[in-house]
Amino acid sequence: MVLDHLGASLKDALKKLAGKTVVDRAAVEELVRDLQRALLGADVNVRLVKGLSEAIRTRSVDEQPPKGMSVREHVLRIVYQELIRLMGSTTDVSLQHQRILLAGLQGSGKTTTTAKLARYFQRKGMKVAVICADTFRPGALDQLSTLCQQIGVTCYGEPGKEDAVAIVKKGLAKLSGTEVVIIDTQGRHALEKTLIDEIIQINTVSKADHRWLVIDAALGQQASEQARRFHEAIDIDGVIITKMDGTAKGGGALSAVSETRSGIVFIGAGETIEDLERFDPDSFISRLLGMGDLKSLAERAEEAIGEQEVDVNALMRGRFTLRDMYKQLEAINRMGPLKQIMSMLPLGSLEVPSDAIDVTSTKMSRYRVIMDSMTPLELDDPNLISGSRIHRIARGAGASPEEVRELLKYFRMMQRALKGMRGGKYNVQRMMKRFSGMQ
Amino acid sequence: MFDGLKQKLRNVQEAFGSSLMAEQPSSVEPGKQKEESPPSFARKVKILVTDGELVVGEKEIRAPLQELEMVLLENDVALPVTDEILRAVRERLVGTHRRVGESPDLLVRKALRESLLQVLGKGFDLLEYCNGHKKPVRILFTGVNGTGKTTTVAKVGHYLKEHGCSVVIASGDTFRAGALEQLAIHAERVGIRVIQHQQGGDPSAVLYDAVEYAGAHGVDVVLADSAGRFHNRVNLMNQLEKMKRVMDPDLVVYVDEAVAGNDAVIRAQEFAELVGTDAVILTKADMDSRGGAAVSVAHTVGKPIMFLGTGQGYSDILPFTPELVVSELLGA
Repeated sequence: MVLDHLGASLKDALKKLAGKTVVDRAAVEELVRDLQRALLGADVNVRLVKGLSEAIRTRSVDEQPPKGMSVREHVLRIVYQELIRLMGSTTDVSLQHQRILLAGLQGSGKTTTTAKLARYFQRKGMKVAVICADTFRPGALDQLSTLCQQIGVTCYGEPGKEDAVAIVKKGLAKLSGTEVVIIDTQGRHALEKTLIDEIIQINTVSKADHRWLVIDAALGQQASEQARRFHEAIDIDGVIITKMDGTAKGGGALSAVSETRSGIVFIGAGETIEDLERFDPDSFISRLLGMGDLKSLAERAEEAIGEQEVDVNALMRGRFTLRDMYKQLEAINRMGPLKQIMSMLPLGSLEVPSDAIDVTSTKMSRYRVIMDSMTPLELDDPNLISGSRIHRIARGAGASPEEVRELLKYFRMMQRALKGMRGGKYNVQRMMKRFSGMQ
Repeated sequence: MFDGLKQKLRNVQEAFGSSLMAEQPSSVEPGKQKEESPPSFARKVKILVTDGELVVGEKEIRAPLQELEMVLLENDVALPVTDEILRAVRERLVGTHRRVGESPDLLVRKALRESLLQVLGKGFDLLEYCNGHKKPVRILFTGVNGTGKTTTVAKVGHYLKEHGCSVVIASGDTFRAGALEQLAIHAERVGIRVIQHQQGGDPSAVLYDAVEYAGAHGVDVVLADSAGRFHNRVNLMNQLEKMKRVMDPDLVVYVDEAVAGNDAVIRAQEFAELVGTDAVILTKADMDSRGGAAVSVAHTVGKPIMFLGTGQGYSDILPFTPELVVSELLGA
């Protein structure tokens, strides 16, 4: 995301400001220039950047700092306020009957996003169906129906037909019992008049509740122009950024947000169907500041972990067996990619190297395989596991005995950690120390 | 195409021109009152008197250079590349001698033209390459997701076929749902044979089969599609490397979209470093694109741009000739 990258540059710029003995016009000017470069490097529209720098310049000179606030803090506050303004408004995604129309340029990821959205609403317990209105690109229907099959969502499409508007009409009639209908459309750009007319018609016919524009994170200055034209055509009310798992900063999406006066609804960051995140400017900013996004984390945990699955009380009594650990790993797995979870934790400025995360998640699935070749008795009482049993388990799981021992070591550590948790504040502190010692 | 950049560049030229014009009378008349930069000023006067020429100073072109910077950024030329171009133009202009009567416009245009040409490099003639190369010519297409690789493969196949080459396509995207069907339909429409396995298969094996097929049937060119991947995915890039090892392509063609912004530079560089790039194809150039990505990518990779994709039809592909593009941009 733009500001993730900006975070580093911003900190540098602000550090510079902190090092200044006097915060004067020249210091503000330097800060603005650094900001400008960071934003332009992230593909934010040149005009938006100019507006932002102008606002920071004039506000820091004209506005009197509130009582008790130093000039430095005052300037910082202005910078943050202006940045948050750049992120657009908070958008609502309600869980009720609705029709969603997706529009966007060719190759921006509409079809994948359609499936991801379907999965999102499905996870929230809604009845979802999708309509494939892309009659132009070969294989579009195959792609969408394959993805939908993976998650068990109905996909309506008519192979061989060319009239997208008629397909939408028929599809909606057929899917009248579903709560959420998502319409995937053909990629188009704003200069193709017939295609723009087509999407206007689809919009009228479908009476869509939401019209979301799908934007590739790598899209450059062109984003404003395209967003403006789409907005003129079908009144866009939200933006989805895709391909945020690359190195692109997504500044183009901010231009689109400003053109359509809407906000970012979702962010797509990965190739699997689960890789879609809600976007909330507030959580985002707090994540930027290293405060974590515990709200989303809790939401996710609730979805993934059924009630009776992990017996918290037994855990707290220290009766933690390999079986519990297995459930834990499964639950974590269901919560989605570890990378996403990590980004929600309040780790502050602590940078977790991405290859470390990759290693951890492969290791976790290895652990599960190893546990799969243990007997129920062993799972309940790990102390049973002797040298010969380790060899048997290793052979069964196709792992080395060292890996099995490592797993047992990991288990004992978890067990000790949980025991420690029971003993109040002092022990928690000791546990933290132990964890930090491990890193 | 590239209209945005064209219009803006002309404005900048005028700005350069007028700022140089404005400078002319002031340095002819005032004699020795201004002493701000004595040595260069003295030299300027000397050159003016002895040779009848003016020296272009850094100061006179600062404002138009700043304007040029904004123009380039607004048109999607990436930040580092913009800096590079500005540096080149400044170096070309500062210190040049200009005859009193000579139009500054010409000077500016020449400097811009040379800098742009230097960045864009030479074009790449695929037909000439194919004809002069041992058959079958193996071409591998790479790039990130959604840039239009599959469509481009079909277009290039169509282009080669039109020009008398026989072509076979290897369906190397075994990952994305619907990719096999998409390519099969494209190929059927343009009348080209496709080699494919089932979804989820090993792409390297598909490529190997296609090359074998071409060798056995005397086909001139093998075009290999690949699944889109991000350059920061180690495993996927390793897979691509394996595909390259197995296929041993004569050309690795990197496909990106002309509407991409700053990221174009980063990913072009990563792809070039990890699997190599011999030529570049830019797609979606018809989206009122500003042409900045062409400049950025060409400059970063240092490899020629081969084609521009300009529409949804199979014949919407243009061989890229830098001289033509630059001439059009600057209105020479």
